[in-house]
Amino acid sequence: MVSFLKRIWTAAPIATVILGIAMAIAVVFSIRLVAFWIYWADPNHRDQTVAAWMTPGYIAYSWDIPRPVILEALTGSTPRPGRPMSLDELAEMNGIRVEDLIAATEAAIAGHRQSGAGARP
Amino acid sequence: MNETVFALVSEYGAYVIFASAFLSCLALPIPTSLMMLSGGAFIVAGDLAAAPVVLAAFGGAVLGDQTGFLIGRYGGAPVIDRIARSPARRAVLTRARVLVNRHGMFGVFFSTWLVAPLGPWVNFVAGATGLTWVRFAISDILGEAIWVSLYVGLGYGFASQIDTIATLMGNIVGLLAALSAAGAMALWIRAVLRAGRVRHH
Repeated sequence: MVSFLKRIWTAAPIATVILGIAMAIAVVFSIRLVAFWIYWADPNHRDQTVAAWMTPGYIAYSWDIPRPVILEALTGSTPRPGRPMSLDELAEMNGIRVEDLIAATEAAIAGHRQSGAGARP
Repeated sequence: MNETVFALVSEYGAYVIFASAFLSCLALPIPTSLMMLSGGAFIVAGDLAAAPVVLAAFGGAVLGDQTGFLIGRYGGAPVIDRIARSPARRAVLTRARVLVNRHGMFGVFFSTWLVAPLGPWVNFVAGATGLTWVRFAISDILGEAIWVSLYVGLGYGFASQIDTIATLMGNIVGLLAALSAAGAMALWIRAVLRAGRVRHH
């Protein structure tokens, strides 16, 4: 093994270094894939949570809630027409905290689901 | 990091996708696949129109690849000549050139989508080792069409899971790219060893 490494090192040092780095990177990605698999196997980890980057349209689509329900939860922070805005931008534009906006959205989703309309597991 | 990228796409839409596709084809470490995934998700959510997203990603990628190919052609040739100073390397490079011209189209094609992290480097090498421009352009355009439809399509189809898809695809493509690079280096080392042996006879 050592003599083989020596042989390829003397023949092509740069290629040997790149080979070593590439193999190390392959190991890292394999570990990450396995770790992801284990994490993903737990159903509790599959649910997406409302995040600051999401737009009202994206939330409505992802949680299968009618747009007006989401928009209503964001009263006073109606998006400008023609361009999508994330919750983060909406919060900033209206001078409120994005955490409050997320909480309001989550409450609206929960409320809508509880009312029975469009319930989804 | 995923969320930062998603936020950028929701704020700047097709422009940021174009810029990132162009720059990532020039070896700048920008997560364009993520941008296209979120672009697809925002299309299905009704926030972005499909045509600008697809055209921006495709146009940026093809222009970036062409630029990389030209850089390789006009800037890379002297570098290749320097590498070829040792006789063993020269022998291997000659073989590599033949290989690039014969199989370069496959290399360019797969490096644009299946092992996308290697794409920029393959463009430089293809330009520097003299792959014909027409062959480069054909396989590049076909490959980028697959790259764009694959990621925008995944974002569109799995919009509510883009964070998961992004992580999964990132790891799979990273693994494939690392394995391909390792394989290429193994072939190169084997060729150098063989060339050395032939020389000793």
